Amino acid sequence: MTSLQTLMKEIKDLKPIPAVAHQLLAVVDNPDSSMQDIANVIQYDPVITASILKTCNSAYFGLKNPAESIKDAVNMLGTDQVIELALLKSGAQALSGSQEGYGLAEGDMWKYSVSSAVVAKQVAVKLSLKNKNTIFTSALVKDIGKIVLEKYVSKKSQEITDLVEKKNFSFLEAEKKALGIDHAELGALIAKMWKFSPRMIKIIRHHHLSDESMIKDKEIAAVYLSDCICMMIGQGVGSDGLSYRFKHQVMEDLHISAADILMIIAELGIKMQEIEELLHMA
Amino acid sequence: MKQIVGVADMKVSNSPEESIITYSLGSCIGLVIYDPVVKVGGILHYMLPESSIDQEKAAARPYMFADSGIPRLFKTAYNLGAMKQRMKVYVAGGAEILDQSGFFNIGKRNYMALKKMFLKNNMMINKQDVGGNTNRTVRLEIGTGDIYVKTSGSKEVKI
Repeated sequence: MTSLQTLMKEIKDLKPIPAVAHQLLAVVDNPDSSMQDIANVIQYDPVITASILKTCNSAYFGLKNPAESIKDAVNMLGTDQVIELALLKSGAQALSGSQEGYGLAEGDMWKYSVSSAVVAKQVAVKLSLKNKNTIFTSALVKDIGKIVLEKYVSKKSQEITDLVEKKNFSFLEAEKKALGIDHAELGALIAKMWKFSPRMIKIIRHHHLSDESMIKDKEIAAVYLSDCICMMIGQGVGSDGLSYRFKHQVMEDLHISAADILMIIAELGIKMQEIEELLHMA
Repeated sequence: MKQIVGVADMKVSNSPEESIITYSLGSCIGLVIYDPVVKVGGILHYMLPESSIDQEKAAARPYMFADSGIPRLFKTAYNLGAMKQRMKVYVAGGAEILDQSGFFNIGKRNYMALKKMFLKNNMMINKQDVGGNTNRTVRLEIGTGDIYVKTSGSKEVKI
């Protein structure tokens, strides 16, 4: 078993997601917020602001006049695009790097996270869910627990592999059995220490739906479904592969058919190029 | 020289110094074909079984679907002198999430779409590594026709 104290110490040593992400989420999913409120939050963080302006002024967006402030950026690209860029940029540092315990090379987790976030937003739009940006960000950071757990997974890799291959455990169940904690639980602990909203902590904690009663929570279900879809596509997936459980009940509860899933995958296929661009920008 | 086949993408080559690779196939299928006489080969990485779900997307990304991608892979190889009766075929991917059954099993549906087209066209699969819960990276060396597969977390092996 991995002692909780050891893990907590490691969490304290992580470089957290910048505070701007939380402030931004508090504003953007509130229907009463104005464009000015959003710009105010972002420009408070000079690193993210500089990075967004650099991106806006890159050839990708092809703006005629350079954006000189977040307000310019919002006017030129639209609020949604600027919010997404700010959220992506705040997650980039924590989620880049390699996680060898999961067989993830440099950039793999980042690629997977960005794809999940894009798909989750797509699912949120399809289901007309309200907190789209919270869903987007939760999907982006849901695997944060792997960053700390990977060393321990590496040490117990044989035991975990045996549980998965011979005893029909899911990878998450095997983590729990071998280490006493799984990456979703640990991710929620990290999110709590980083003062994420209770909503996001809950989504991260349950993103594999190990507690089936959480299926009723549509935001959790949307993030879960987007994770399954990205797992199927496979880009940025590690040695845990597709060894997680598929819950058919989710499809019924969300009123999503197999044909809908095919369409979401097709949409993702079209967006792959865009995601690649986002990866290089953030 | 390494040619990378992205998701919903295809590459065909007759340059002996080249190798073609596609990364991390999950439920998608990597279809590898090779004619050893003219040393022409290619890989298609498709995501979905049938283009009928969205003709517009199929027109924009024909390699996304089995039914629009597979004929293009073969035709491109034929244009470089490959012949159907000499073609070696290897199929990888089609993985599934645990408990993913029925209509939601996209990996299996992707594989069945290929089998159906092959049956209709009298094509045989020489070797395959499909299903299961792992990701596969596949590489084809054009000069030799050697095919290598790597599942994440393990070493690359020649098949």
